[in-house]
Amino acid sequence: VKCEMCGPAAACGGCPIASGFYLPTTLATLQPGERATVEKLVPEQSSDLRKLLGLGLMPGVDVEVERAWPAVVVRMGFQSVALDGALAAGVVVTR
Amino acid sequence: MRFMRFWSEREADGGVATADLAVVPAAACARWLLVGAPNVGKSALFGRLTGRYANVSNYPGTSVEISGGALAAAPDCVHVTDTPGMHALLAVTDEERVARRAVLDGSGTIIHVADASHLDYALPLTLQLLSLGRPLVLVCNLMDEARARGVAPDCAMLAERLGIPVVGTVATTGEGVDALIAAALAAAVPRDGWAQPRPFADVAQALDPAQPLAAELALAGDDDYARAAQARTPGRWCAALSARVAHWGDESAFAVALAMARRRMALALLDGVLPAAVPQRARAQRAIDRWLLGPVTGFLTVALVLYVGFYLFVGRFGAGTLVDWIERVVFGEWVNPVVQRAAALLPWAPLRDLVAGQYGLLTLGVRYAVAIVLPIVGTFFLMFALLEDAGYLPRLALLLDRGMKRIGLSGRAVIPLVLGFGCNTMATLVTRTLETKRERVIATLLLAISIPCSAQLGVVLGILSRTPMGLAVWALVMLGVFVAVGLGAARLMPGAAPTFYLELPPLRVPQARNVLLKTATRVRWYFAEIFPLFLLASVILWAGDLTGVLARATRLLVPLVRLLHLPDAAAAAFLYGFFRRDFGAAGLYDMAARGMLDAAALTTAAVTITLFIPCIAQFLVMKKERGLKVALSVLAAATTTAFVVGGLVGWAMRLAGGAA
Repeated sequence: VKCEMCGPAAACGGCPIASGFYLPTTLATLQPGERATVEKLVPEQSSDLRKLLGLGLMPGVDVEVERAWPAVVVRMGFQSVALDGALAAGVVVTR
Repeated sequence: MRFMRFWSEREADGGVATADLAVVPAAACARWLLVGAPNVGKSALFGRLTGRYANVSNYPGTSVEISGGALAAAPDCVHVTDTPGMHALLAVTDEERVARRAVLDGSGTIIHVADASHLDYALPLTLQLLSLGRPLVLVCNLMDEARARGVAPDCAMLAERLGIPVVGTVATTGEGVDALIAAALAAAVPRDGWAQPRPFADVAQALDPAQPLAAELALAGDDDYARAAQARTPGRWCAALSARVAHWGDESAFAVALAMARRRMALALLDGVLPAAVPQRARAQRAIDRWLLGPVTGFLTVALVLYVGFYLFVGRFGAGTLVDWIERVVFGEWVNPVVQRAAALLPWAPLRDLVAGQYGLLTLGVRYAVAIVLPIVGTFFLMFALLEDAGYLPRLALLLDRGMKRIGLSGRAVIPLVLGFGCNTMATLVTRTLETKRERVIATLLLAISIPCSAQLGVVLGILSRTPMGLAVWALVMLGVFVAVGLGAARLMPGAAPTFYLELPPLRVPQARNVLLKTATRVRWYFAEIFPLFLLASVILWAGDLTGVLARATRLLVPLVRLLHLPDAAAAAFLYGFFRRDFGAAGLYDMAARGMLDAAALTTAAVTITLFIPCIAQFLVMKKERGLKVALSVLAAATTTAFVVGGLVGWAMRLAGGAA
């Protein structure tokens, strides 16, 4: 999980919510059935960014989470796409 | 000679981009290029336009190669090219690079094929293609689905806004295809200079006025184009970079900002073109998906598919009933007597042997190909096509992703690995859809060593049908080797963990026409591949037999075979195995049928021959796709594994047998 303020969670000692850091909602943290809008993309690597953009995931896009297991399945319009936890964690959303 | 030509042709049409694009029409010919996202019906449309059949599937990533053909309606003046699906011009996988090169480096009319239900996703690519300044047609395919969902776009309105022809089609029925041909023939260079969003266009134009699209890709962080731009115009590249950093920041920020700007343009263009419908997936689809992807029900379905589809249908019916019938009735009663009688008329004994002897063209080559291989391959590909057309394979990939990650692969690799049970050679080609070199090498290795192709599988099922114990041991050993090789390779090969992403096509009831066409195409491909090899193997074995070389070569293998406690005659079977693994397995099948092998020996032989070196065809494809070094390493690994594991299994079984 990436932290909004300090990048990878490990870099700031695990980003404890209690300490006041903001732990963002991502596609990986949503429950099946929840709808959200993509807010920003914070992928681990630039090649992951291309994959997300290629799938049509970019800020402003509305998604609905269909499944959280065995991987995250999100629906955009009539298209469903599956992404694993690592990719899904790079998509910050607002409910 | 024929054989050599056969192989050099295969190499040519299998090669990446450069070789593929070399298959060009005459100079006067117009060229059409089909481009679009995966799974929107490009290949089906290609089939409609050319009358040729490219592989059409309900899963992404079937057209791993570029295929070309003449337009059926006007064969002399239009050449149509199909490309692998690409999500965006910023490529991730090799197949996307192949498609992109075809678009950016090619010439002629571009036909962008889009899913009519998902135009908001497709239109940004249309806008990118527009800035190429080449004739462009937008095809809204799958119009029937869009109409059923109430989201069919107003093509005429969109055409007016874009300034290019927009045609609605249903590729599977042929609806709208004539209109598409007319539109593409008349397509002119569209008005330019508006499709690239403004501030981005200025920077891109400054970097490369001739190819602003390539400039845009370079600035968005595409290594190929960035290097090219830097090498060609270093001064401009520096200026463009500093402009980018000042405006947007790094390449990722630029790529996201550009993608969002294009999306806003697309949504503005689509305003009023699309009816205001709320997209909702059918409830039945959701319920089936819940079942197919559930932790318990999902794996239950996998087990059921394996048992009914593969064990009962392919194993029992294909490899059992059909093989028996063709061998006994077709060859035993009809073909062989005629051939023997005809061969008896030949004047020279070796010539008689060449036709109908132990290693005869008809008695060995044709019989193995038609009686033993064809029924198994046919039933396997039929089953595979059914699952494919229903849309089950992407779900299988998704379900197995977590397990695959442990052996260094992503769920995507499930598709080539399953296809490998049909034909390893074909599957090795399909590993091109995997993202990293590491994944491609691991998948190649697993295919070469532990995935038996359907011909082997059938023959192994055949020889082990008498010993259920042996069959169980064989299956467990294969699974064990698969996991061990995967774990070992993932550990030994450096590289980042793979990521998994895949679009899930809607589940559909399989269409008889699609399924049969797919099966026929794959079987034809398989036969084009193996038939010459079977015949060649017959000839080589016949010549070797005639000259005594075969006996000497076999004697060389005898110590190895004895090491495995197999009868000496098995050496010959291993020698055939070099031509095709299934060919070797078929040799063992004959020995088992004559009662020369006991349970332990049968299992040893089955294990060894399954793990043994890949057939020549697979080796050649490995060499072409992965390079000689990887191919030779895989060969060495497979041979070692085969004899070591085979020997261990035989030893353990005899030990257990002796104790009991």
